[in-house]
Amino acid sequence: MNFRPYALLAELTYQCPLHCPYCSNPAQYPAGTELATNEWKRVFAEAAQLGVLHLGLSGGEPLARRDLAELIGAAREAGLYSNLITSAVGLDLKRLHSLRDAGLDSIQISFQADEAELSDAIAGTNAHRRKLEAARLVTESGLPLSLNVVLHRRNIDRLAQIIALAEMLGAVRLELANVQYYGWGHLNQAQLMPTRTQVEAAASVALEAKQRLAGKTDVIYVLPDYYETRPKPCMQGWGRRYLTVNPIGNVLPCPNATSIPKLHFDNVREHPLAWIWNESAAFNAFRGTAWMPLPCRECPQREIDFGGCRCQAALLTGDDHATDPVCELAPQRHIVDEILASVETAAPSAWAPRQNP
Amino acid sequence: MTPLELTSRPARAPGVRLQLDKVTGEPVLLYPEGVLELNDTAHAILNLCNGAMTVDEIVATLAAEYEVEAEVLRADALECLGDLLQRHLIALQ
Repeated sequence: MNFRPYALLAELTYQCPLHCPYCSNPAQYPAGTELATNEWKRVFAEAAQLGVLHLGLSGGEPLARRDLAELIGAAREAGLYSNLITSAVGLDLKRLHSLRDAGLDSIQISFQADEAELSDAIAGTNAHRRKLEAARLVTESGLPLSLNVVLHRRNIDRLAQIIALAEMLGAVRLELANVQYYGWGHLNQAQLMPTRTQVEAAASVALEAKQRLAGKTDVIYVLPDYYETRPKPCMQGWGRRYLTVNPIGNVLPCPNATSIPKLHFDNVREHPLAWIWNESAAFNAFRGTAWMPLPCRECPQREIDFGGCRCQAALLTGDDHATDPVCELAPQRHIVDEILASVETAAPSAWAPRQNP
Repeated sequence: MTPLELTSRPARAPGVRLQLDKVTGEPVLLYPEGVLELNDTAHAILNLCNGAMTVDEIVATLAAEYEVEAEVLRADALECLGDLLQRHLIALQ
């Protein structure tokens, strides 16, 4: 069966002014030089030919690229819908207008919490007030504003206030995403994982807000999968809809795929994007259902959750083919249960802030 | 939210783009984090959502173009636009 990618995540740089301890960038950065302007332009054109409709401009912090407006212009020319995924640090009026005028379609700003003290403690820098100002500029510019807030042990109890902030800023979309434990997030898991009581309280706050704000702000609450009984349909299936190009040009089936040490990722400097998508070993490693072990292979859900997340399986069990241990049917669910049990008794301790390469 | 009426003037909401899919050649509506594949009726309606024409004028234009009863088209158009409004993909001027 032929698959077609719908969305490309372009990680333009690993540089970032923030030091969030849950960053999903790899904790060990790959060696190599960042793709140049013309290389990205070629990637965008090739992606559009493959069928990609959505482009996420991410990082690191994409505003760190001085050629960002030029890249957005190239994306528009290729017919891609571009969304800037940013901390908004450095997004002043002039820069915002230059990006909008180049053809940017929407902006997603990350917030770490609803108020400055906690937000800045999480980000490891004074960013909250600058984010507030930038969010106002975005709303005034006519671009649709989305907010993304990563939830964890230290901010999840403030969910109601976080939702109020999104309302106040006029966001059309609010993504409330529990931390996923890859990269720096995996490193800091013990400091970030919320308790069951916290998660249940947050879920009801989010549900109430979703109903109350329907037709105004689209509230998306992503449940933390450790507290679920079945795995998430990670990436809607491996190599089915999404691809990521990292700052040095490696093409990944998911942004966290470097969590799987056995995989080799091909590079846009050496191969056409279409070849990498269709033919490369990494993209074919977990396509379809033939790779699946039991119980996935015979599970009625196998085309629904695709066996869960390959990166999580690799990180927790050491076997990238294993059933995602989040699944209640997984032979190794006990690994997740042991982590959850330790969360209930864990004493607060310091996390490792994200570092730049 | 402003209710949809025959005198409303719908326009695509900010950040919503209508274009042809390069792979299928079919019309799609692109918006933050989403894609909506459009049927012929929705495509024809959205093409006329320019913030200047009223729903009634859109219906009359399409009825003339496709030689169908305005009555029949009106119900379809209101349903389609109501759905788009609910999803924030159009706004009323």
